[in-house]
Amino acid sequence: MTALLSVRDLTVKFGALTAVSNVSFDLERGGALGIVGESGSGKSVTCRALVRLLPDTARISGSVRFDGQSILDASESELDGLRGKHIAMVFQSPASHLDPLMRVGDQVAESLRKHTDLSGTKIRQEVLRLLELVRIPNPENWLHAYPHQLSGGMKQRVMIAGALACQADILLADEPTTALDATVQKRILDLLNELRRDHGLSIIFVSHDLGAVSAVCDDLIVMRRSELVEAGPVADVIGNPQHDYTRMLIASHPDRQAITTARRGTSGTPLIEARNLHVRFGNRTLSDLFTGGDSRFTAVRDGNLVVRPGEALGIVGESGSGKSTIARALVGLVQPVAGKIGFDGNAAQITGARRVGYLRDVQLIYQHPYEALNPRMTIYNAIAEPLRRHRLCAPSDVPDQVADLMAQVDLWPELASKIPGQLSGGQCQRVAIARALAMNPRVLIADEITSALDVTLQAQILDLLLRLQKERGLTMIFISHDLAVIRKLCHSVIVMRRGEIVETGPTEQVFDTPETDYTRDLIAAIPHLPEAVPMRSR
Amino acid sequence: MSTLKYICWRLLMALPVLLGVSVVTFVLMAATPGDPIRLLAGARADADMIALVRERYGLDEPILKQYFIYLKNLVQGDLGNSLRYRQPVADLIARHYPVTLFLVIYTVVLTLPPVVFLSVLSARKPNGVADQVIRVIGVLGLAVPVFWLALLFARFFGAQLGWFPVSGYGETFSEHMWHLFLPALSTMIWVVPILVRNLRAALLDEMNRDYVQAGLSKGLGRKQVFRTHVFPNSVLPTLNLFAVIVAYLLGGSVIVETVYAVPGMGNLMVDSILARDYFVVQGATLVFALTTMLVMLAVDLLSTVIDPRITA
Repeated sequence: MTALLSVRDLTVKFGALTAVSNVSFDLERGGALGIVGESGSGKSVTCRALVRLLPDTARISGSVRFDGQSILDASESELDGLRGKHIAMVFQSPASHLDPLMRVGDQVAESLRKHTDLSGTKIRQEVLRLLELVRIPNPENWLHAYPHQLSGGMKQRVMIAGALACQADILLADEPTTALDATVQKRILDLLNELRRDHGLSIIFVSHDLGAVSAVCDDLIVMRRSELVEAGPVADVIGNPQHDYTRMLIASHPDRQAITTARRGTSGTPLIEARNLHVRFGNRTLSDLFTGGDSRFTAVRDGNLVVRPGEALGIVGESGSGKSTIARALVGLVQPVAGKIGFDGNAAQITGARRVGYLRDVQLIYQHPYEALNPRMTIYNAIAEPLRRHRLCAPSDVPDQVADLMAQVDLWPELASKIPGQLSGGQCQRVAIARALAMNPRVLIADEITSALDVTLQAQILDLLLRLQKERGLTMIFISHDLAVIRKLCHSVIVMRRGEIVETGPTEQVFDTPETDYTRDLIAAIPHLPEAVPMRSR
Repeated sequence: MSTLKYICWRLLMALPVLLGVSVVTFVLMAATPGDPIRLLAGARADADMIALVRERYGLDEPILKQYFIYLKNLVQGDLGNSLRYRQPVADLIARHYPVTLFLVIYTVVLTLPPVVFLSVLSARKPNGVADQVIRVIGVLGLAVPVFWLALLFARFFGAQLGWFPVSGYGETFSEHMWHLFLPALSTMIWVVPILVRNLRAALLDEMNRDYVQAGLSKGLGRKQVFRTHVFPNSVLPTLNLFAVIVAYLLGGSVIVETVYAVPGMGNLMVDSILARDYFVVQGATLVFALTTMLVMLAVDLLSTVIDPRITA
């Protein structure tokens, strides 16, 4: 049997830059192939090159044959006949890949209108069937909704429904779950498996997450720096990796990292605590008064947390659960409407003249490292700024201090004169950490700092934090939707849902004997690597 | 239902704005040197005569009292009488307002097709030949002063070639179209480039959005993606700018109406200011303000229709 899709020596160049070099693989009908690699490895470009969905500057060579037809030689109109009808695509962030101004039903119907002769009620019926297929409850209700009225998971389902509309042979899924919460990710992965089983869909699944890929795919190719480094059945590649990079990728997976043994938090007075914290966004407006509405939104209700010196507290929950809001309230970036924040036995000075002193002790690190650094400021200046501003050391000592801080977070000294745009995401995040450490803080609040990073970088940052925790006795509040990360790092954990704390306790206890269904769902949703090599020990 | 409430709310909010506008114009007119009574009674009128006329128009009262009398009449729907024309201000406005409205709508109707056409042409190939030519001509259009261009058009198309009349408004609809063509054209010359620049930028922005990729991946083709996704998404920022420009056109009608002697609000306004015709200026300003607010309201409502994320 010949392959449904056959790729030989695929090379994609953007000017002098080679994005994909000599990649070859086959996809059988009904098969599922995973492409993994870190960002910039060319996996996304490979995926898009299969339907020539690349900017005009891209030069593609090699051969891509779908069902005997050469895609690279196809004309634009032939391609349009192929795209959506035979090869459909699902993208990473459903929010930006749906047209905000078009009703959900119409977006699903688009390819039906283009590729089939169906019309009117027939299209409506078909759209309803598709929405049902991707497990959207009460599809009639959502037909006329706009994308912004849907949750992230629902949007991804709509996008998948749109891709499946014409019963395509191949679904190209480009990081379809990366932007989603773990629980939602699990449901989408289940859906893909189901579609494959029941409808014979062939899938190419691109991701940086080995766990997610192995949940769907039979075969795997690993890409690094635009080249294919390893290929084979999933179990073989994970069980018996041949290439160093693959081994590193597997070792970086939170599943395969040793769980730190239960560390007891220190006892004694809490260093930072919050009592009955209440955060509300928006104000009652005059028009509320007039229309009887309420434009306020309660983001955190009755938030309590206690962190003792040297302890690490994890806050987990789906997006929108209020976990970042708590962190922001702790440093006064949002004003709680009620509740107390205590620091070192006293009320925290989150406003007023002594706010500066408080912020030196409590530092926040943000999720997106590129956005948190001034793009025109060199790394040296970014780290030196707090030192100079707060006169933390003599002006003549600043260079030594900066060098010392950079060494602490494993940044090469040569990077000091670079600007953030020249650094990788992981390096930028280290700069952000060094900048926070420059204050010599007693509490570090890390808001999803690894979420925007690849697994390998994520593992490095986590190691760094663990080391800092050990060396400096840092107290940490670590916010993440990734439970595996929390488990590795934190002594105790708070589980949040829709602004409320649903469960709290020592990490081991919450993970091993979760009390609420919500926590159980969160834990069950962590994608695991197949147990080819038994690594986990309890 | 909530939309209706919203409209009522916005109209209610218009009242304090109108009040503010009336205060400002009243104070400004009172502070401007010049006396309407002297202009009215003529150069040879004696002091007694002037005092008599002044009393008849209530202009001998303290300024604050004058304002409250004016306000009281306003609430009763009485805009007062013109000092110069000796007829109700409401009648004057009723006669002049439609002319300006016609001119503004005419300008808008003439403006929109070239704006859409030129922006799409520009955005299709950014920095291509068409884009460069459109940009240069656009800058030229922006740089040329309206009154100078208006004079030039009047001279060339009106006087020299005799294609269009250089003054007046005409009687029938088609005569209006004919008479107002040059005024509308000269206004259009600077409005089009502004909107083209704005819409072009929005189009280029939207063309790089992820949903364009998604549309292409469904095999819709570039043309259809542009028509059904890119264009609707680009319209919104331009629409908001457009509202500001329409409001400005109402006020800006002064220049073209003067050059082409169009009997519209702009003309009425200029004449009344020169004659210190207090009540006409007051009334006209209020009408301008009200129109501006209605245009803004209309655009805000239109925005909610286009973009479901905006709630009224």
